[in-house]
Amino acid sequence: MTLLETLPKKLGSSDSWVEKGGVHWLAPCPLSVRELCMEMNVAKARFVTITAYQLPKDEGFWLEYHWDLDGQLLGFPFPLAGNSIESIYDLCEAVDWIEREIHEGFAIEFTGREYEPLLLREGDKLGVNLREPAAPNKPVSGLSGQEEVKK
Amino acid sequence: MSYKIPMGPYHPALEEPYKLDLICEGETVTDAKLHIGFNFRGIEHLAETRNYIQVIALMERVCGICSNIHTLTLCQALEGLTGQTPPPRAQYIRVVMAELERLHSHVLWAGIASKLMGFKTMFMTCFEIREKIMDVLAAISGNRVNYSMNRIGGVNRDIEDPLAMLGMIEKLEGEMMKTVIPIFTTSSTARSRCAGIGVLTLDKAISCGVVGPTARASGLGQDLRRAAPYAAYSELDFDVPVEQAGDVRARLFVRALEIMQSCQILRQALTKMPPGEISTNDEKFKFITGTATSRVEAPRGEVMYSVSWKEGSRNPSRVHVRTPTFANMPAVRWMVMGARLADTPLIQASIDPCYSCTDR
Repeated sequence: MTLLETLPKKLGSSDSWVEKGGVHWLAPCPLSVRELCMEMNVAKARFVTITAYQLPKDEGFWLEYHWDLDGQLLGFPFPLAGNSIESIYDLCEAVDWIEREIHEGFAIEFTGREYEPLLLREGDKLGVNLREPAAPNKPVSGLSGQEEVKK
Repeated sequence: MSYKIPMGPYHPALEEPYKLDLICEGETVTDAKLHIGFNFRGIEHLAETRNYIQVIALMERVCGICSNIHTLTLCQALEGLTGQTPPPRAQYIRVVMAELERLHSHVLWAGIASKLMGFKTMFMTCFEIREKIMDVLAAISGNRVNYSMNRIGGVNRDIEDPLAMLGMIEKLEGEMMKTVIPIFTTSSTARSRCAGIGVLTLDKAISCGVVGPTARASGLGQDLRRAAPYAAYSELDFDVPVEQAGDVRARLFVRALEIMQSCQILRQALTKMPPGEISTNDEKFKFITGTATSRVEAPRGEVMYSVSWKEGSRNPSRVHVRTPTFANMPAVRWMVMGARLADTPLIQASIDPCYSCTDR
């Protein structure tokens, strides 16, 4: 059996991987994100990224953690009822910038770490870059697009 | 006594806007902090307001060097959501475009690195070679930067006479073998500026999660074209160059060897290209609800797209892009520690950073 096949059992799951959309998913993940990260370090998997989703209304957020194991992309979803989750920065250095970007873009708090100054450089508001609707494009003249064309 | 030297966001030694706060003792760098986001464009957010045709054009603009790679990765993810499988000829054309893009990106980097070494003749030589590759890209696609080649289910333009390109590949390979590679590998100037400089150890490369040539120059043999083949790569024979030293010279070697491998891949892809359609020509596909992920080995390393769609929606509900420089750049802090201040521009350039990608 390959490491990929034996990994769900090592992670304490009775389920096996579900291959969907180019990713081997293990959902729900039986471990906390920190426990998962420690297991990924043991398996020598390479951290790839975290994808954050804002759920509709006030349902919170959905984070997907991705690791690469010998070319196979692994995915572990973590639903967030609130807006905080434990940081894994002290366990996995590679997570630093993406945790900071999600913190700034979605105002999600990764607990147990300190943040460097803003990565995205848009004032001091968190979530401003990705959560607020983009302002409509207006020419420098302040006229609407059609009026600008007429002019 | 230690002191801080801010380098950037606008500085003659930097090609793009970012900032390095270098902590120095005398001429030696003891630590560094990196700051990005000076040109953050919010493209992921903008993508949620674009339909499936517009989003391809938008994502092509994430990067000005590997624009084709971004549409390829996005289209592969969108194909996962629409059930489209590009025909074999389209898969080969995708390989040709991806490798031509890798060639021009690596030769561009070699030119920039030469300039930073104070080797301006080589800069001119590299840019002359790169121009020829750009001409081929323009001949295939009609464009020099944003090629508009990829679509859901295939490519937009055919390569009508693939074998006619073989001459160009041979000529390019000859010029690389005759001038660029020997000078980079044997010249004492290049050696003295690059050997033992900006070392990223294997352990640090693993813990920082670096990708692409930066990882391969530190002894990590990862390459998605081999580990998780896409397009027609599984049908092509090539090596993945790996160096162990982890210094600027090793990064230079890896890219030089990758140029030769790209020529080999191109030769095979052009010779083996099967006849047939270049796209599914299916205009009535439907998106299913879900998330699809795709990864591609870009010139700088792994690019990953996660695309979420809701059935019946005109626009994606989420597009997440993980670019290689976003993964590689934090490792620069470890590369410059202990280096001479004068070497830091070359060290940061040795990962071939792209801030268009990083500030997506």
